[in-house]
Amino acid sequence: MIKLNNVTKVYKGTVVAVRDVTVDIAKGEFVFLVGPSGSGKSTFIRLLNREELPEHGTIYVAGRDIGTLGAWRVPFLRRNIGFIFQDFKLLPKKTVAENVAFALEVIGKPRHVVRKQVPAILELVGLAAKMDNFPHELSGGEQQRVSVARAFVNRPPILLADEPTGNLDPQTSVGIMKLLDRINRTGTTVVMATHDRSIVDTMRRRVIELDQGVVVRDQARGVYE
Amino acid sequence: MALSPRYVLRETGQNLWRNVLSSAAAIITIGVSLWLFGGFFLFNYAVDNATARWEGGIEFVVWMQPEATAEQDANIRNSIEGSPAIKEWVYVDQNQAYEEFREIFSDTPELIEVVSPDVLPPSYRVVPENPDADVVSELSDQFVGRPGVEEVVSADQTIRDIQRLADKVTRVFLVGSVILLTAATLLILTNIVSAIRSRGAEIEIMKVVGATNWFIRVPFMLEGLVQAVMGAMGAWVGLRILDDTVIKGLSEPDSLQLMQGFRVDQGEFYSTSLLVLVIAIVVSGIGSAVAVTRYLDV
Repeated sequence: MIKLNNVTKVYKGTVVAVRDVTVDIAKGEFVFLVGPSGSGKSTFIRLLNREELPEHGTIYVAGRDIGTLGAWRVPFLRRNIGFIFQDFKLLPKKTVAENVAFALEVIGKPRHVVRKQVPAILELVGLAAKMDNFPHELSGGEQQRVSVARAFVNRPPILLADEPTGNLDPQTSVGIMKLLDRINRTGTTVVMATHDRSIVDTMRRRVIELDQGVVVRDQARGVYE
Repeated sequence: MALSPRYVLRETGQNLWRNVLSSAAAIITIGVSLWLFGGFFLFNYAVDNATARWEGGIEFVVWMQPEATAEQDANIRNSIEGSPAIKEWVYVDQNQAYEEFREIFSDTPELIEVVSPDVLPPSYRVVPENPDADVVSELSDQFVGRPGVEEVVSADQTIRDIQRLADKVTRVFLVGSVILLTAATLLILTNIVSAIRSRGAEIEIMKVVGATNWFIRVPFMLEGLVQAVMGAMGAWVGLRILDDTVIKGLSEPDSLQLMQGFRVDQGEFYSTSLLVLVIAIVVSGIGSAVAVTRYLDV
């Protein structure tokens, strides 16, 4: 599903964010990216979403070399990749339902599809009763659930999460992880950058550890360190 | 996937409403600049129509009586041809006079219906060697009262003054409109940039979920177009008022005789209106294109 071959990303010609990374992630896998701040986790994720292009190496997503995609095709790649932010990035003037619907509207989904899929995904994340609330009326955990719903409403085969529990307390984080685990069980590939030791140790999924941009560990059913 | 009209209209409407004051400023600026631009054309048309007979250096016209005999006509023609003070001349026969009449009074078909070529006087339009007012006056006086001559009319200093004044007025209109149109373009650009910045979070989400570049850009471009078209509509109303009050007022029967041809026909008015709309679209296109290509990173 995702394949990186000798990928190197350098910022401003000198700062090496990712160095000679080769990783293969199968369809339906759940992968934790761990490592200290500045180790290259976020860059790794941004490379998969083609927000960044590598200086060297190739990246395949769903069998396609995304480095050779024309700019006009990048949006179509991103429709196959859900993205969850650490800080939720919900639109404050839109309700929960509108925030989720927005992700479908802007890729041109017809109204009847939006009307059908939004309540269904809000049901999945446990927020059906709060679809008319605004983000400021929700707890942090609920806001992140909305963010997950927005990322998954289009049922993408890949979900990227950049420290999705970074702004949440441990108990709320567990709820979010259960949700991501549930989504993963539908066959969705999940790649999640995290600093949360307890989550990684509890879930025992594949762990890729980065240090100064280099993969120093790639362990099936791994722990944080 | 296609752009949803409902989505585009909603987003464009929201953008305009969020920046309602600066949108109003842009619309007013565009309206005033296009009004000046259109006014430039209307005044030019009106002056051209009022002084059509005096174009090409024609300084006086010898109007013949419609019933003048061939001998009387030949006498006048011989005098004109033989005069070393006359540089060139044009004879306008009754049919040509009728065509000219039809053109001048194209807005009043009822008048055209009651006039036929045989009641209109033929004329000699004369360009003297020396356009000095005294010389022209002395030359034209030679034809006054001669057999077959109805009237001799000179393009006196007043007409020349009007042409010069009109030149200055229209130049002010043109320069003013160009300056204001530049300001309007910058205002549209600023408004769109401001809308782009205020919607930074939305744009980020749109990019992440896979909205196409055009899907992101179109509502902003449409915002500029709506402002420009609303400005053009305001300018059109202003031009209508200008035509109905100032221009028609100047050409009323009780005004100066030489101003009575000061008019704009419907074709000229609508071609000016169309031009104003096209300029509005061009202005909004430039402002929007610069804004979305330079300030919207998609």
